[in-house]
Amino acid sequence: MSKRLWAAAAVVVAAVALSASAAGAVGETVGSCIFDELGEAQFEGIEGDGFTAVKELKTQYKAGDKHAKELKEDFEKDLEGCLEAPNPIIPEVTEIIWGGAAFVVLLALMKWKLFPVVKNLMEQRTQRIQDSLDDADRERAEAAEVRARYEAELADAKAEAARLVDEARDQAASVRADLQSRAEADIADMRERAAADVEASKRQAIADLQSEVSDIALGAAEAVLGRSLEDPEMQRQLVDDYIASVSAGQD
Amino acid sequence: MAERSASYADAVAAVARAEGNLDVVSDELFRVARALEGSDELRMTLSDRQVPAARRQQIVEDLLGGQALETTTAVVSMIVAAGRSSDLIGIAREAVEINARDRGRSVAEVRTAVALTDDQSGRLSAALSAATGHQVDIKVIVDPSIMGGVVATIGDEVIDGSVRHRLSQLRDTF
Repeated sequence: MSKRLWAAAAVVVAAVALSASAAGAVGETVGSCIFDELGEAQFEGIEGDGFTAVKELKTQYKAGDKHAKELKEDFEKDLEGCLEAPNPIIPEVTEIIWGGAAFVVLLALMKWKLFPVVKNLMEQRTQRIQDSLDDADRERAEAAEVRARYEAELADAKAEAARLVDEARDQAASVRADLQSRAEADIADMRERAAADVEASKRQAIADLQSEVSDIALGAAEAVLGRSLEDPEMQRQLVDDYIASVSAGQD
Repeated sequence: MAERSASYADAVAAVARAEGNLDVVSDELFRVARALEGSDELRMTLSDRQVPAARRQQIVEDLLGGQALETTTAVVSMIVAAGRSSDLIGIAREAVEINARDRGRSVAEVRTAVALTDDQSGRLSAALSAATGHQVDIKVIVDPSIMGGVVATIGDEVIDGSVRHRLSQLRDTF
């Protein structure tokens, strides 16, 4: 705030200095300067002063008086002095007083009315910018949070997808292994059944053959035995053998 | 059924004892039972409830009249009239057992392909008595289906020395 105050004061001083003029420096115009020079003119060797002296000098100059010519040239230089500018750096005291007073009044007005408004506007603008920055930070934080959440959900989705893929792969492997084991078991079972069927067929064939052979043999034996059993002596012998075996404790 | 046959047998034995001829009656009952075993037609006729009881009793009297004791004829006629013809074989077996027990002996049912001589019967009875440890009476049944040899049944024990049994064993061996 103090830097701004000093900058404003410097601007005011510069404006006063640059606006200064020759006439302005003494507080009078060029015309009044010339009028004052004419009214107060006094020349060596010429009686009277003021406009009378100037009029006499003009007369003597026109008469060709050499001294009058020199006085005239000196008086012209004095008049030209009215046209010269005052000191560009240091103004007149009155100007400084008025300018300073105006500056103080202006500064007071500015501090009383303008600066609070400007300050308020600047603070509002600062607050607005701060709010905007805060909003931007908050939105950035929210965006970061959303992004983090999204990334987390994406990671979860990827993990879930990977888990599902692994699970599906495991299930496929399990199903494949199960099918393979079943197929192997079926093949083994079919082989076993086929072997059992072959073995059973072989046994059946052997049994059939044995049965057939035994039937033939038994048939032949029964035929022979039947003829023998028709013999009463054979029947008697069988009964006697039975009695003998019972007596001996045999059946 | 066995209990009912035993009850009938006890009644028959009581009647025969009262008449003093249990030994003969039981033997004749055994023969009647064998006749029923050998004749499906006779067994079915005596068991047919469509045939009047009087008719069935008449058949019994016609068959046994003059060939068996009146006591035997009477008890068989009573059993047939009671509709227990199918139990007659079991009743006869029980009556024979009761008669044997009364005399302190056992009964062996002996099946043979041909009839035994008295000598064979005596030796077989002696052999079975020695084998079982007590006196055995034999009841011979001629059964050609055993082909030859003897099958003796004493209570639950069967001593099978028949040719049919030997052939069966031989067939099982094959």
